[in-house]
Formats: sequence, C-alpha cells, structure tokens
Amino acid sequence: MDDYLVGVLSNIGVVSFVALSAYLLLLTGAISFGQQAFFAIGAYAAGVATALWGWPLAAALALGAAVSAAAAAAVGLPTLRLHGLYFAVATLAFAEMVRLLFELARYQVEIDGELVGPNGADGFRGIRYIFEHDLGPLQFLALIYGLLAAVLIGFMLMERSRLGVALRMVGEDEVLASLNGIAVARLKILAAGLAGALAGLGGGLYAHLTTYVEPRMFDVMLGVHSLAYGLIGGLGTAFGPLVGVLIDIGLLESIRPLAGYRMIVFGGLVALLLIARPRGLLDEAAVHWLQRAWRPRRRP
Amino acid sequence: MIDFLQNTIDGVMTGASYALLALGFTLIFGVMRRLNLSYGPSIMVGAYLGTLAHLHLAAGPLGVAAVTVAGAVLAGLYVERLCFAPMAAGAGIAAMVSSFAIWMQLEQAAILVLPRHTYPFPPLASATAWLGPFLLRLDQLIMLASALVLALGVQALLYGTRFGLALRAIIGNPTAAHLVGIDVRRATVLAFALASAVGGVAGFLVLASDAQVTPMFGMWATMKGLIAMMIGGLGSIPGALVGGLLLGVVEAQSQWYLGPQLRDLAAYVLLFACLVWRPGGLFGAAPVRDLARGRSL
Repeated sequence: MDDYLVGVLSNIGVVSFVALSAYLLLLTGAISFGQQAFFAIGAYAAGVATALWGWPLAAALALGAAVSAAAAAAVGLPTLRLHGLYFAVATLAFAEMVRLLFELARYQVEIDGELVGPNGADGFRGIRYIFEHDLGPLQFLALIYGLLAAVLIGFMLMERSRLGVALRMVGEDEVLASLNGIAVARLKILAAGLAGALAGLGGGLYAHLTTYVEPRMFDVMLGVHSLAYGLIGGLGTAFGPLVGVLIDIGLLESIRPLAGYRMIVFGGLVALLLIARPRGLLDEAAVHWLQRAWRPRRRP
Repeated sequence: MIDFLQNTIDGVMTGASYALLALGFTLIFGVMRRLNLSYGPSIMVGAYLGTLAHLHLAAGPLGVAAVTVAGAVLAGLYVERLCFAPMAAGAGIAAMVSSFAIWMQLEQAAILVLPRHTYPFPPLASATAWLGPFLLRLDQLIMLASALVLALGVQALLYGTRFGLALRAIIGNPTAAHLVGIDVRRATVLAFALASAVGGVAGFLVLASDAQVTPMFGMWATMKGLIAMMIGGLGSIPGALVGGLLLGVVEAQSQWYLGPQLRDLAAYVLLFACLVWRPGGLFGAAPVRDLARGRSL
C-alpha cells in the first residue's frame, strides 16, 4: 500500500473512535456536541505519558482512555438532568472550555536539549514514540484497526446483552425505562464514561499518528462531524458511524479533483440522504432486514 | 470604577449584536422546536452578497443593508426547504445534522465567490462621542437601538397580531393549530423568513461596525447567537435580549480584567453554569420535559 492510502485509512480509523463515542451517547438519546473534548484529553494525556514520562504505548493509551472516561463521567453528573438541546449545548460549552484551557496549558520538559510538551496555543510537538520504537505506518495502522475491531466486537456483544437493550430503552423513553426498573441515572453516567473512554483512546492513537496536536484541532467542527457520522451512516448498528466516516473522508478524498466544489456536493448529498433516511443508511429497519437476510430461514 | 463602567458600556454595545443574533435564533427555535445550525452561515451568504454589491455596484450602506437582509432571507428559505420542511416530526436530530451539512455548503459557496480571507464592508457611521468620561460609538448606538426596537417589534408581533396568535398556537401545539384552520406550513415559513431577516440586520450591523467580512463570520454568528439564546432562555424574546447583553458585558469585563485569552473561557463558563443551574435560561420556563427531549429537538 502506498503511504497516502495508509494515511487516509489511519485517519478514518482514528476518527471512527470519536464517531463511535458520539454514537454510544445517541443510543441513550443524548446529543453531544462535545466528544472532541475527550478526544483532546486522551491525545494530550497519552502524548505526555510517552513523550515526557517515557511510558510504553499501551500504558499511555490506557491512561488517555482512563482520564477521558473520568472526565466524561464527571461532566455526566451535573448534566444528568439536561435533555435534547440543553445537553447538546452544555457539552459544547464544556468542550470549548477544555479547548481554551489547553490553549493556556504549558507543561514542558527538556529532553535531549529540546523542550517537549504541551505549549499552549502553539501545540504539543514531538510525540515521536512510533519513530523511536520503529513502528512502521503499516504496523500502526494494524494497531488502530485491531483496537477498532475489539471495540466493534464489544459493541456487538453489548447490543445483544441486557445492557444494550437498557441503553436503547433509555434513549427511547427515560420515564418508561425507569418504570421498568432500569437505573437510568447510573446507566447514563456509565454510557458517558464509556463514550469518554472511546474518544480518549482514539485521541491517544491520533496523537501518536500525527506526532503533533494543537488545541485548534479539537474545535466544534470535530464534535459536530462526529455526531453527524452516526446519523449519516445509521443509528441501527455500530457499523453505522463507521460507514459515515468512510463516506465523509472516503468520498471527500475521491472527489478531490472537484476541490472547490466538494463541500457543495457533499453537503447537498448529506441533506438529501437525511430526507430519505432520517436515521441514516443503516437504520434499525435496514439492520433488521440484513439480519433476516443473513440468517438462514427456519422452517415454520 | 470608570474602567468598569466603560467596559459595561462596551459590553452592552457588543451584547446588542449578540441579542439581535439570538432574537432570530430563538424565533426559529420557538416556532419549529429545531436547531438551525445554518443560521449564521445563511446570514454570511447575505453579507457576501452585500459585499459584492459594495465592490461591483458601489452600493452605499443602505443598499448593502438591503442586499444583506434579502440574501439572508433567501439563504434561510433555502435551508428551511431542504433541512426542515421535508423532515417528519420525529426527525429533529436529522434536521439539525442536515442544517450542519448545508452550513458546509453555504460556506464553500461564499468562499468560491469571494476567495480572499477578508473583504471590506461599508462602515455605517464611525463617529464617536464623549459622554462625560465615557466613549460612545455612533454605529454601536444604532446597533443597541436596533436590538431594542426589533425585540419590541417581534414581541408586539407575537402578542398583538393575528399572525402572532397563529405562531403562538403553533408553538403550543402544531396539530391543534392545524385543526383550527391555521396554515401551519405558511406561518412557519414566514416565521423563518422573519428570523432570517432579523439575522440579516444583525449581520449587517456587526460587519458594518467591523468594516470587514471574513469566512469565519458564519460560525461566529451561529455560536454567539446560540450562547446568548441559551443563557436567556430558549424561545423567549426578552431572554434573547438580556442573554445577549449579559454575554456582551461578561466578555467585555473579563477581557479587561483577565485578558483576551480568558474572555472566551468566561463566556463558556457562564453558559455551562447557566445550563446546569438554570437549564431553562434566565427567562425561560423550566424546560418542559417532552419539548426539551432529543426527539423534538
């Protein structure tokens, strides 16, 4: 594979983590404009762990996910009683607060005669773990997709479990869910924490993929995009957000010759798609149909 | 003390522009219960058309204002037609994401027509005056007056006319409004056009006082309008006014005392605190459960 393709595929893989994070919250009925904050926290935490503290990559990624999960659960508490647009804007406000704090944050250590670490708005350079440990782009790609596959398997198991049913039930009707004995508040915090961990894991991978992060990368645009991916690809299955990312990045890359017009084409296509399929390509009905077609029909 | 008061005056002036943006936003949300992320970008389309008229037809401030408002209304109706009209009642999130997709489209279209980063925008009135120790700018006074007049006008329209009555009926219950013979579709489109026109006025006044327009304006307008609307209370006209002014004053004070970097942070802290402590905003009722639900976003 050529480097360009590897780069595009790596990007698709990493962005899928934020898309899945927003999707997990959408299942519980929560619209978040703020998952980019946990992506950022994961990126900075994992980057600091390898570049400044010399941690191994696995531990650093785990730290990124853990810190993001804790932050997400902490935001989940005060926003617990917010719904719809109120929740969306509260998460947006939180994410912008995080971005602006990273623009102020400075934590630099001199390593080999060079200052390394987050330097406010100038960003965080020199997250060179994959070069120092001879991880090739292909190997890193394999790592991204290996983790993504594990996450997807987790989603598939969850969707079949009582937890998955409970999450969708909370998304459909919170009152009804609580009347059925579901601990709604606990479940929502759990979902927020898991979604934060997913975004944080993606962030850690992203920081090591690009070797450089800056606060500007984690603005509202990323958050709204990751929310949109689930809606474009479909809310019926965890593969939906992946399809959304694939359509966005894949299609945008392939209509590169149209450079100046691509957002006009793409924006229009998405708007038309959402008219035809308001819950995305792979919505619940499509997933149900696919499952029926997939399984051999039993005799009546 | 003088500094504090001068900051407050500056903040009220800037806040007037936020209030105007929030006014249009809250009108759309109030009537449709849907978030139009393309609100700012459609104002920007109007502003870019205004700039074109200024550059090529040498239009004066009034001409540019007319073109800006007309352009914002046209772009707004395009958004309504594509993102809101065809969406079923339960598809609020899809409508919002769709309006985001059209945002990308409008922004790119604007950049295609005028590719440079900044373009001049005709200033309205750059005169300044001293009132005692305080510095006042004429164009900002016009902005404040416009915000007050438009807020009162919209309030009068909502509570003093048959059209306003129809809109309030739709806000209360669209199905019931339809059953008593209100043309819901027509009233909704008119409200959307009105909101876009208010946004167009806001855009013109802001850009005229900046004397320039950049492609960042769309995002800026959506964000400031959204924050001011949420602080004041969704769907509330006095709320939009007070939310905008409060946001302006908090920004001006924190810029002076804490520095420009902490200014935006202060605005978001204010927003987050307002949402957590008083989710309905300063003037809104406590969010009615089913209205505030994701499904009817």
